[in-house]
Amino acid sequence: MPYPGRLGKGSEMGRGPYEKSGLLAETSLPPMKHVHETFEIPYPYKDGKKHRELINDELVVSVKLWYVPFGEMDGYEVLWFEEEKKIDLKTEWVWR
Amino acid sequence: MLNEMDFLKGGAMKKVVKIGMSLFAMTALWASGAQCAGGPEPAAQPKAKTIKELVARYDSSGCIECHEDAYDEWESSLHSRSVLGTPRTAPTIITAIDKGLKLFPHSGVKDDKDITVESLMFCAKCHLPQLDEATDDVAREIVSTIRAWQKAGRDGNEDLYDELEETIASLNIGCMVCHNKMAIIHKWTDGYPQPDTVYGSQDGDHDDEKFPKMATAPALGESIFCGQCHGLGPNFELDNPSQCATAYGSYLYAYVAHGGSDSCQECHMHKSGLGHDMQAYNDETMIKMAVDVKVEARSLFWRKNKAEGVIPKGIIKVDLYNKTGHVIPDG
Repeated sequence: MPYPGRLGKGSEMGRGPYEKSGLLAETSLPPMKHVHETFEIPYPYKDGKKHRELINDELVVSVKLWYVPFGEMDGYEVLWFEEEKKIDLKTEWVWR
Repeated sequence: MLNEMDFLKGGAMKKVVKIGMSLFAMTALWASGAQCAGGPEPAAQPKAKTIKELVARYDSSGCIECHEDAYDEWESSLHSRSVLGTPRTAPTIITAIDKGLKLFPHSGVKDDKDITVESLMFCAKCHLPQLDEATDDVAREIVSTIRAWQKAGRDGNEDLYDELEETIASLNIGCMVCHNKMAIIHKWTDGYPQPDTVYGSQDGDHDDEKFPKMATAPALGESIFCGQCHGLGPNFELDNPSQCATAYGSYLYAYVAHGGSDSCQECHMHKSGLGHDMQAYNDETMIKMAVDVKVEARSLFWRKNKAEGVIPKGIIKVDLYNKTGHVIPDG
């Protein structure tokens, strides 16, 4: 999202149109460019003496892209994309 | 092979030059023979003294009879309620007054009674540009109406709330804001919009009592037209620049500069099929046109370190591609 400067002075972000001036930083999606995001999610596990056992060897990951017009999930957010991915790790890891 | 390539390149260049020359000639002819879209700066009309008068001056209902589809489309757009908004705009105008204007030491506004057209133009420049044709009383009436609407909402007075909301919604970017007041950008070159003319893509007579003529607005179909409001960033022409939109700045410097060539109108009106129902982030069609998302997921054992050992984890890779002509989000 854009981080507009507060009245164009210093390093504080401005919020309302009456004080926003310029841009301090920009994390919006640029046009005609690919942006990659990587998320790493640990599987739940418990440890034995010589092995690590997965409590759940399947994960259902829900990927959602929200448009949040006012910067918060305040009821105005719009869901742009949603996809579920099922991943698994069906082998027990044994220390060796 | 190289020689042949060079030869082909040379031939292509000649053709390009020839085509370029004929386009130049056509442009020159068009420029000299173009209809005079605008004219001399018209005498200022008397200022509207009430919201009602201002709304009547820019009333779009006269357009319905012949342009029903365009009117219906426009009615669904935020342009048809540009002061009310989603409805977040009207409360934001109040915040801008209370947290901005009244706290700025040199704004001249300490109380609602001090509000003038000039002080409200930092919102109205885009949300209600015709406010410059109204008295300061109208500026104050708008503010008091929004405050009364908010109070009616808090008090649960639904009838009053709806009535006031209708008044606020009547202040909008109607047909004649785009097709007359804002229609011509370069007024010294193309003339000033004339009070009897509706501007679009044709010249000739227009079957309307109030606007009996129609003329071409040279930039109405160009991105620069939308850029008048969906802006470059800070509005430096104001004594205290406000900033809502940066979409046109982004369009110029992040899209066109990197090879993009579609106009705002091509995407938001034509390719979307939405016409005058110009939409953005909360419209299903525009959402589909905006971003491609690809998700890849896999699992692995991550050999972290001796203390924590091996961590089983899922790796989710998301690829986002912005297909539009500006950053998302903009602001």
